[in-house]
Order: sequence, then C-alpha cells, then structure tokens
Amino acid sequence: MSKPESESEPTPDEYGTAQSESEFESDPVEAFDDAIDMDLRSGADDCYKCSTCDTSCPVAEVDDEFPGPKFQGPEQWRLKRGDDHDIDPSITDCSNCMRCDNACPSSVPLSQMHNTARGEYVEGLAPSLWNAEDAIADGEYREALSYLGDIPAELSIEFVRNRVLSNYGTMAGLGSKFPRLTNFVMSNRITKEVNDRLLGITGERDFPEFADQTFREWWRERGGPKVESADKRVAYFHGDYSNYNTPEVAKAMVRVYERFGYEIRVPTQRCSGTPMFANGMLRDARRAAEVNVTNLGDFIDRGYDVIASCTSCSMALRQEYPELFDFEETEKVSVHTYEALEYLRIHEDLEGELRDVKDVEFPDLAYHAPCHARNQGISTQAVELLSEAEGFEIEDVGDSCSGISGTYGWKTEKYDKSMQIGEDMFEHMRDAEGDTGLTECPTCAMQMGHGTGYEIRHPLEVLEAALVN
Amino acid sequence: MSSHTDHHSRTGVVVIGGGSTGCGIARDLAMRGISVTLVERGNLTHGTTGRMHGLLHSGGRYAVADQESAKECIQETRVLDRIASHCVEMTGGLFAKLPADEEEYFQEKLQGCRDCNIPAEVLSGEEARELEPHLSPEVEKAIWVPDGAIDPFRLCVANAADADRHGGRIETHAPVTDLVVEDDAVVGVKVRHESGPGKRVHGKEGETEEIRADYVVNATGAWAGHVGEMAGLDIEVRPSKGVMTIMNVRQVDTVVNRCKPKGDADIVVPHETTCILGTTDEEVDDPDDYPEEQWEVDLMIDELSQLVPMLEDARTIRSYWGVRPLYEPPDTGTTDPTDISRQFFLLDHDERDDLGGMTSIVGGKFTTYRLMAEKISDHVCEQLGVSTRCETAEEALPGSEDFSVLRDYMDEFGLRSPIGKRSVQRLGSKADEVLKTGEPNPVICTCEAVTRAELRDAIGGSGTDLNAVRLRTRASMGNCQGGFCCHRMASELYPTHDESVVRESLDELYQERWKGQRHALWGEQLSQAMLNHALHATTMNRDRDPAKGSSAVEYADFDAGPGPAVDADGSTRATADGGVPDGGVSNESVTDESVSSGDGGDDAAGGTRGDQ
Ligand SMILES: Cc1cc2nc3c(=O)[nH]c(=O)nc-3n(C[C@H](O)[C@H](O)[C@H](O)COP(=O)(O)OP(=O)(O)OC[C@H]3O[C@@H](n4cnc5c(N)ncnc54)[C@H](O)[C@@H]3O)c2cc1C
Ligand code: SF4
Ligand code: SF4
Repeated sequence: MSKPESESEPTPDEYGTAQSESEFESDPVEAFDDAIDMDLRSGADDCYKCSTCDTSCPVAEVDDEFPGPKFQGPEQWRLKRGDDHDIDPSITDCSNCMRCDNACPSSVPLSQMHNTARGEYVEGLAPSLWNAEDAIADGEYREALSYLGDIPAELSIEFVRNRVLSNYGTMAGLGSKFPRLTNFVMSNRITKEVNDRLLGITGERDFPEFADQTFREWWRERGGPKVESADKRVAYFHGDYSNYNTPEVAKAMVRVYERFGYEIRVPTQRCSGTPMFANGMLRDARRAAEVNVTNLGDFIDRGYDVIASCTSCSMALRQEYPELFDFEETEKVSVHTYEALEYLRIHEDLEGELRDVKDVEFPDLAYHAPCHARNQGISTQAVELLSEAEGFEIEDVGDSCSGISGTYGWKTEKYDKSMQIGEDMFEHMRDAEGDTGLTECPTCAMQMGHGTGYEIRHPLEVLEAALVN
Repeated sequence: MSSHTDHHSRTGVVVIGGGSTGCGIARDLAMRGISVTLVERGNLTHGTTGRMHGLLHSGGRYAVADQESAKECIQETRVLDRIASHCVEMTGGLFAKLPADEEEYFQEKLQGCRDCNIPAEVLSGEEARELEPHLSPEVEKAIWVPDGAIDPFRLCVANAADADRHGGRIETHAPVTDLVVEDDAVVGVKVRHESGPGKRVHGKEGETEEIRADYVVNATGAWAGHVGEMAGLDIEVRPSKGVMTIMNVRQVDTVVNRCKPKGDADIVVPHETTCILGTTDEEVDDPDDYPEEQWEVDLMIDELSQLVPMLEDARTIRSYWGVRPLYEPPDTGTTDPTDISRQFFLLDHDERDDLGGMTSIVGGKFTTYRLMAEKISDHVCEQLGVSTRCETAEEALPGSEDFSVLRDYMDEFGLRSPIGKRSVQRLGSKADEVLKTGEPNPVICTCEAVTRAELRDAIGGSGTDLNAVRLRTRASMGNCQGGFCCHRMASELYPTHDESVVRESLDELYQERWKGQRHALWGEQLSQAMLNHALHATTMNRDRDPAKGSSAVEYADFDAGPGPAVDADGSTRATADGGVPDGGVSNESVTDESVSSGDGGDDAAGGTRGDQ
C-alpha cells in the first residue's frame, strides 16, 4: 500500500474540538430524509409468504399482539398505495433485532422495510414535534410553541422518551461530564420512579454507569496512537457506549491491535444510529450518519479500514446506512467496515497466537451471539477461536435473542416481554459451565448481567488478558 | 336437447349476459319498476367484463381517433366516480412522450382532449417523474388527464345487488340454451341451471327452466352471435383478443399511457395491489377458443419497460386474455380490428330481421356501460309502453352511499390499519355491517388483507362458488395466488356444506388460480408455484395419480381419533400408518385433466374464467 502524504500527522478532524464533538452542534443538514421517501413496494416481489421470518421473530414469540415481520414488511408494503401514510402502529413493537432479515430464504429486505416504515410512522405521528424542533433550531420560538400546543401529552411524552433513548450519546455526553454525580442520581430510587412513571423508562434496570474518564479523553491524554504503520491501519468506530460506559473494551481493542502492529485512528464520530433506527428517529439517524460517513470516508481514502467493537455499530455502517441513506460515500464505508474480532481473524493468525496460552484470566466462558452478529455471519467467531485454544473452555448458550435489543428492553411497557425473550438465554447460561459471560454487544451484555448476575466480558477484553503481557 | 323442462316461469324482461352491460340493464329496468330476470352462464363478469383492463377511461385514449366515444367517456367517468365510488380509484392518467414519439401527435392529443372537454395538463418530464418516480428518465413530457381505475367485479355485483333490491332476479351458472320463438317473435328463453335455481351449490343436480318474458335483451357481448343463432339471426360480432399481464406490486399509482397512435402494449393501469400491463388487439374466430401465447406476454414487458424500466425485472403473477365484443355494421369491410369503432350498437331484431321481442346490444366499452344500459332500457320501455325515467346516473350503487375510509381501524374493527383500510375500500358503506360481527376476525388471505368476516359475507352472496367469492373480495388474488389461502377459504364453507362439496369448490378455485400462473412461470412466480405445489402435495395430496382411486376420502383412515376406529359391524379399520389400498384419496376429479393439459383453451368448470 502506498503511503499517502502527511499520513503520520493526526488528522485535523480526528480528535475533533470540544465544540464539534458537542451533540448540540447544528449540522448543515436539511431535514429531508431519503428513507422516509423511499418506496419499497417492489421489495415485496421477493416474498413467497413462507413465514420463515415469523417463526424466527423473538417478539412475535412472546407478544401475541405483534403481527410479525411478514406483515410488517412485505405485506404492509404491498398493501400500500401511493398516497397512503397510515403505517400500522405495531411497527413500533419490532425491536429491530433483524433476525427476520437473516431468516428469509428469499432476501426480502425486511429490516429496511421496517426501518423505513417506522420512520414514516414516527414522522406521521409527530410532524408537529419535528416542526417545533426545526423552529427552535431556526430561532423561531413563537412558532415552535404554536406547534407544541397541538399535541396530546401522552404522545409527546412517548416521543420524548424515545428520543432520549435513541439519542443516548446526547445524554451520556452530559452525564459523563459529572460521572459520579450522574451515576448517583441515576441509580437513585426516586430518579428511577420518575423515569418509570413520567418517561416510561423502566426502573427495573440499573442505569449503566458512566466511566470516570471517557475513552476519547483517555485517548487524547495518551497522545493518540503508539504504533505507526504504512499498511496496517484501522480507523476505530467506538460508538457511544464504549466511549462513555465501557472504555475498558475500547482500550482492550487498542492494546490488542497495537500488539499486532496496527496504527489506530479515532475519527470524530456520532452515534451509529442503531437506537435511532429502532425508534423511527430517522432524521436524527441521518444527521449522525452523514457525519460518520464523511469522516470515515476520509480515512478510508487514506488507506484505513474501519473497525467497530460493537456488532450493532458495524451492522449499521455496513447494512443499514446503504439501505436507508444515499450519501456519496455510504457504499464505500459499508464495504470497508468490519467488526474488530472479525478483522483480526482475517488478517492475523489468532488461533496460532492463542494455542499455547495457558493460565488465562477468564478461562470458563458462556458465550451469547448477538442477533446483529448473526446477520454479519460472525455469530460463531468467538467460539471457533477460543474453543481451539487450550486455555479456554467456551460454550455457546444457544441461538435465542437476548431480548433487550438496545432500547427495546428499557421501555417500561416492553420490559416484561424483553425478559421473557431473554429467559432461554438466562437458563442456558445458568446451565453452562462457564462463570463469565461473553458477547460482542454492549446491550446484550447488559441483559445477560441483569438476568443472571454474571460478569460479562467482550472478546477483545479476553484477548487483551491473554495476549497483551 | 331434451324436451322435458323442470320449471316454468314468467317475467317482464329477460336479460341474457351478466357482464357490465347486462348487470347495468338489469339494475336500470328494475329501478324503473319492471320485473327483470338476468341469466348468466357463469358467474357475474364471466365474460369480457372479468377480463378487461380496469381502466376508467377519461376519454383521453379516444381523443384523437374517436371523439364521440371520448365525450361519452368523460361524462360517464364523472358519473361513476359519484355513484360507484367504492369501485373506483381516481388515480389520474398520463400520456407520456418518449423521444421516438411524434410531437405532432402529442399536440393532437392535447387538442383532442380540450375539444372533448377532458381536463388536460402538460407536465414536463421532471414533473411527471415527481408524480411517478419510476417513469423512465427518457420521458420528455406528458399530458395529465383524469383517468381512473375501476374494479369490474365489485361494480357488477353492486349493480346486480341493486337490481335484486328492486325486485329483480339474478341467476348465475344458468346458460341460455335456446330462445323460445312463437309467431315471429322471441317470447322467452330456455336455461339450464347447473345446480338448480338460486345460489350455486357444488354437486347439486342441474335443472332446466323455461322463462317466458314480454321482452328479451341479448347482452352477451362477444357471444351475441351465438345467442342470435338460436333464433336463426346473423349478428356480425368480430371478437378481438387482448392480453393483460399482472404485476405483483404497484410500480405506478397513476395510469401510464404511451403517447402515440394506437399500438400494442401501450398502457399500465394500477389496480388494487397490482399493476396491469396491456394490451393487444387481434381478431379471433371463436371467443371461447383462441390461443394464449407467450410472445404476447413478452411483448407487454418489453414494450412497457421502455416507459417504466423497473417492469423489466419485476415479478409478474399471472396473465389473462379477454375478447372485445367489437361489432361492425354490415358492409363496412374493415380489415384491422383496431379500426373498428368502440361505439355501441342497438340491434332491434324487429326492425332488422323481422323477429320481434328481442334487441341485442353489442360493442361499446366498460366505462360507458351505464349509458349503454340507459339507452337500451329506454328502448325496452318504449316497446313495453313504460314511461319511467332513468335514475341510474343519480342513485348511488349499494356500497357507494356516503362512506369514508378515514376510520380508526383498530378501534372500530380490531384490524391493523392497512388491513382495515383495504377492507373498507372494498366494502364501502357496507363495512360496518360486514366487519362488526363481534366474533374473532382473523385475516384469511394475507396478501390481499381479506378477513373471515368479509369472506363469510361474500359466501352469503355466492354460495359455494369460491371463484365468485374471490371476485367479490380479492382473496387469493395476491402474490401467493392462493397457495396459502385457498384451503382456508374453502374451510369457511364447512360445516354448512359437507366435505365433498367443500373439496370440489376448493379444487375449482385452486385450478383457476393455477391457470393464469402458467403464463408467469419464471423467476419469483415460478418459485412461488413450486412452493405452493409442494405444500399442497404434502398436505393435501394434490400430486396423487389421477388415474387411480375411489371417489371418497376415508378421513378415518388418516385420523381415527384416539384408539382404532371401530365400524358399526365391530370391525377395525386401517389407521394412519398407510395401510390403505389407494392411499385413502378421492379421485374422479374431472378437473385434474385441465391442470395437466395446459393448453389454455379449457373452461370445463363454468365460472372460472373471470380473472385478474
Ligand atoms: C383486452 C380488453 C381490455 C379492455 N379494457 C377496457 C378498459 O380498460 N376499459 C373499458 O372501459 N373497457 C375495456 N374493454 C372493453 C370492455 O371490457 C367490454 O366492452 C365490456 O366489458 C363488455 O361488457 P358486456 O357486458 O357487453 O360483455 P361481457 O362482459 O362479455 O358479458 C357477456 C356475458 O354473457 C354471457 N353469456 C354468453 N353466452 C351466454 C348464454 N348463452 N347464456 C347466458 N349468458 C351468456 C357471458 O358469459 C358474459 O358474462 C376491454 C376489452 C378487452 C377485450
Ligand atoms: S427485526 Fe426482530 S423483532 Fe423486528 S420483526 Fe424482525 S425478527 Fe421481529
Ligand atoms: S421469510 Fe421471506 S419469503 Fe418467507 S414470508 Fe418472510 S419475507 Fe416472505
């Protein structure tokens, strides 16, 4: 690979200024969403009505009111006429686990249909809310007030709740400025009650704690990459969660990759959009995606591949962006993005490295494959890798969905269903030999811990413990 | 023909033919207080009406060549939008100009529309694509006109229902076998009821009836010549066939015409959940027996993908053919069927052939059915000395009185919104009565969103004829073409009807669904057909050998319940392990023949032609 000029300089947009990292920055993005205007009726051509998707939907399994992916996707789209905008509200009950996508023998773009329909639904539900927001952004406060006056209270509350959940980074960005205080407040019984009653965010779960120092702060303090390389270069997409809540995963990624001689860059980025898709907040998702695609695209041009340590983030960049948005570099980012373990297994002999490692920190593991890993064909990577290594005992706890699906399990009205979906997994974990849970997905990890009380690790942490001194 | 007749009856007017024309006449006469009996050999819309394109003509298509027809069209389109709103979707239409199409013709078309009072507006290529994003980037400009889409089945059923409400009698599956002529006048008809008078029930014995009438109207369209022959009349109908290909989804929501002088494959009409491509115009000798050829289907896709490129790779679910009842007055000598006028003709056989008591109506088009019915009803009234005025242009059809599709479907009907919306669109003002049953109401046909309540209502109106149920509801007309719902529909007939009746109805419906798919067996629809076949073979033994077997299914042989089945004589019969000589399967099915013959000309089971 040729060495582009000035490649050793930290790129100007890499660290970002405090300013541009703020979630409140206004982007020069007009409020025009490709996905909302997308017509997917022709996607229904591939459907044979076989119902395989329905039988693999974890929500349909526990929720009799949920009509299932076949209805939500090809049927609903086929029944649509040009001027119809009445998407059935049940679309909001889909957790966006995307298992249906993977199950369909005929490649019907189910999750694309769901995401688009959900976006349309939310758009139709809350035009006044969006208008109010736009008016606020334009400084037209009087106009904004007039929009807000039209809306029934329950509606605006659900909308606000879903926006809060799907814009986790905004909240986390604030919270992590005062991590201890926020952690104290969020774990407070009264706060939980208030969240539950007023916002519909379940009080059954413990809010994830904010780290004292975010990953980006740590990275900056560390002075960026310690390794430079002309041909082994990755741009790291950490996502919000490993930045604010589990920087240990991000740090493990850094140490493992540097151990193999990779030069790592950490581009300025926004949320991948996963929670926004799941809540139909396509406007928010589009804004975030444009920043990500532009910045990651720059790095790809300079010879970097993109890696993510969260399977939902890599899923978003690889599949959902091209399905929903049409930025210039969407396709390029999609084909250059990998999950972090997947990438290392392609390029390095991890099996060989691990073969003789004995005496490891987490020897007995119970692994759960995130649904989004399944769609990328990497749901068996951890088991394949670690079962070859002498120092580990690893067991796959089965192919069920964990049930949390990002924000789904956080909603008061979905909490019980989320736990019902997860029941299989909890039971299998308890039966498994391992006493440490293992998964690539941060929200699956949350659910695994919540349902079993186990300690949960990311494969990168396990690799770090085994391979980095 | 046997001389014995089972029934004798009298009526004011017999209308032969249950297409749009016949149904329209029956309604008109009944509303004028005349006692009327309509007889149709299949189910309603069995003829050309069930095999047309579904375009509610603004008149734009005739605005250059046949302005008389164009003016009638725009006038009648407005009427139908008012009186038949639950059958009509006002989609609008475009005449799109590709670079190869003449500018001069475009201008003539525009001027023609203006001359005929058809609202017309010129759109730039960009504007046209804004309206219809899948239009070809090659389209330079277009003329917008108020075309619409119309459901011929619902329209005919509504007309017949209204005739019935006004005291008329509607007999389907009742072909006229002879005209009764006495003293140089037609005085009645002989019909053969395939399953006795009244609603059709499979397996019921056929009966004959002689219906005497003061007047007879021959509204058998392309078959008018056949009926005429029964009284030695010569009616020069020149049937001309046309193919239509149904796409799985709506690629366009507006009617899209190619803006060039008459030609094959120049129009796409959105119809319910689908789009229909059409058509051709080719004279045939026999309206009941003509070849259905694959090149015709290929032509539709090849030509029309120039206008809407995504059609090229899109899924087609079936194709069907219809025959136009074109009529040419003697001595016109036209050779090309497209040159024959689309106008209609009243042939009073008294004036024309010195045979009193009967008039034939031929030619015309679906869009102007009401006007045709009004004209001939005026004529009949004149013969009968009745002076009541026609009111069909003012009175809404049943189902189209005052209704709105803007409802809270979940709250009101317990249905998901797209299902509720499509149901209410089909049922119109009958929605509340039909859907609010207070009972569980599962969706039976998921492709077309048809619930049990709607099916039961349709069964109430058409007996065991599941093809008629299909036409009323659209059940089994979606992308699985009945693979996943035919049997569910059939089981709605049980226990009112017993197993053999249900099975026969099911076979007939499934046959009919298969027929149209024969012309779409590639790509997705081929996969669908194979999946359907495998499912039906493994669960209903549809791959059985038709040459073997007894007539009844021994259900006890499959599932004798807990413990061995014991017959009255105390003997124990075979159980589910396969110890049955013939596999326990019914066979004698005449219909199996038509499955395997695949020649396209069959129509053994009356009433299975109506298509779409
Ligand atoms: C390919 C094609 C596309 C068309 N597209 C359009 C369009 O988009 N818009 C439009 O306005 N028009 C269209 N037309 C024209 C329109 O379909 C016909 O003009 C109209 O449907 C004719 O109706 P009808 O009632 O006169 O005839 P039919 O519908 O043919 O009715 C005659 C009935 O008589 C019955 N019959 C025959 N013999 C007997 C007997 N012995 N006893 C009892 N009953 C008998 C037949 O079964 C039949 O049901 C199209 C025609 C064709 C062929
Ligand atoms: S994404 Fe998951 S929850 Fe949603 S319909 Fe598909 S399988 Fe069901
Ligand atoms: S699995 Fe695919 S083909 Fe089968 S019903 Fe679902 S969407 Fe249709």
